[in-house]
Amino acid sequence: MSQQVAHWLDNLLKEIEGIEVRRKSSRRVRVDVPADALPALLELLQGRAGYIHLSAISCVDWIDDGEFELVYHVWSYESHSLVSAHIRIAREPGVYLSVYDLYQPAAFFERDIHEMYGIHFEGSPNMEKFILTEWDGPPPMRKEFDSEAYINEHLSWQEYNPEWLQELVAEGGGVIIPPEEQRFSQKKK
Amino acid sequence: MVMSRLQKIPVVEEKKGNPLARVFDDLVRFCRSRSLFILHYCTGCGAIELPPAMTSRFDMERLGIQPMVSPRQADILLITGYVSIKTLKRVILTYEQMGSPKYVVGICSCTVNGGMYWQSYATAKKLDEYMPVDLYIAGCMPRPEAVISGLQKLMDRIKNGEADSWQDYYRNYDYYLGNQQKLFGEDWQTPTDIITEAKHYELMGEGTLGQHTRLLEQHQQPLEALEMRLGHKLKEPVE
Ligand code: SF4
Repeated sequence: MSQQVAHWLDNLLKEIEGIEVRRKSSRRVRVDVPADALPALLELLQGRAGYIHLSAISCVDWIDDGEFELVYHVWSYESHSLVSAHIRIAREPGVYLSVYDLYQPAAFFERDIHEMYGIHFEGSPNMEKFILTEWDGPPPMRKEFDSEAYINEHLSWQEYNPEWLQELVAEGGGVIIPPEEQRFSQKKK
Repeated sequence: MVMSRLQKIPVVEEKKGNPLARVFDDLVRFCRSRSLFILHYCTGCGAIELPPAMTSRFDMERLGIQPMVSPRQADILLITGYVSIKTLKRVILTYEQMGSPKYVVGICSCTVNGGMYWQSYATAKKLDEYMPVDLYIAGCMPRPEAVISGLQKLMDRIKNGEADSWQDYYRNYDYYLGNQQKLFGEDWQTPTDIITEAKHYELMGEGTLGQHTRLLEQHQQPLEALEMRLGHKLKEPVE
């Protein structure tokens, strides 16, 4: 059964131009599409193939390529399979279309991505702050945001092994992880 | 040689007045250490060790420690793990509303210096910069045995009169307020008027007032009582 569905899905996907389909397993497909073809693809998947559940939208910042990658994961309850549609958009100005009219849960994911990466989704119902309501720095998941520099500026630091902690360690409490093992920036290469 | 050793012997100054007062203080402290209420407020993942510590497996109640749901009626504020900066605001509000004497216990390495979130933009690193901490229980996360042994230590400290860091919040309010302002912005204000409380408890210290409290006074807005309304009406359904 699932072989059949897979075969049928592959045929369906061929209808879209510029698409690259990579089948990972009988129940998992990765498709790479040009950004402007994504709404059509999702419409097709939702309307004709039963992929009615948008499980997540994820985002990757490829700073060296100057691009964001957006991944739309859609799930079908009929064929029990997942399609991940990958698109790339330019990092500047970082604007893309909302898929809210196709999948309403997208509002939630898009708002989150907007907050964390600063991507603006046109047509999304709400681009207000979401979790970081009290944050006024830059979007923190962008690669150019230097978390370590930020905390050095705003928060103070104390030795991982202050003397009073050693007292606790002697009694069998506490964790000792030397900073060179814990901090990537101090790791010996 | 002998002299220098002699000098190290602590000299306890006898209090004048009623000799029984001291006995009474000891009794009060003993009783206090035997009836502790922990505020049920969990900040991070370390909180997951509390249910076994409280319930039948390790049973904290045999030590006289119980959970309590409201800050006004609790003695111990357990900070069970990382505090995000948003949470820290709430923790400070909660702490200030607790009645004295109150004790803060930092569970987990995250409260010591950020733990595995040392590099995160979202969590505060050193809890003792924002409120005085009586005791840390380090570990990621500490097992219920460690939590209980830590609380036992707190009980000992209360009994011996050593756990008085809550007074430090009044005596050095300027320092704590300064750190809070650094993180939350200059117009940070809590509903509790710590300076008036410090005067009331006669705990004004050298560090109570300073540049940061002056800054607070500039921004401070008088608090208004919440409007009381009886028979709260639900919104009319839209036709
Ligand atoms: S110390 Fe470990 S268990 Fe505790 S809050 Fe931090 S990460 Fe979680």
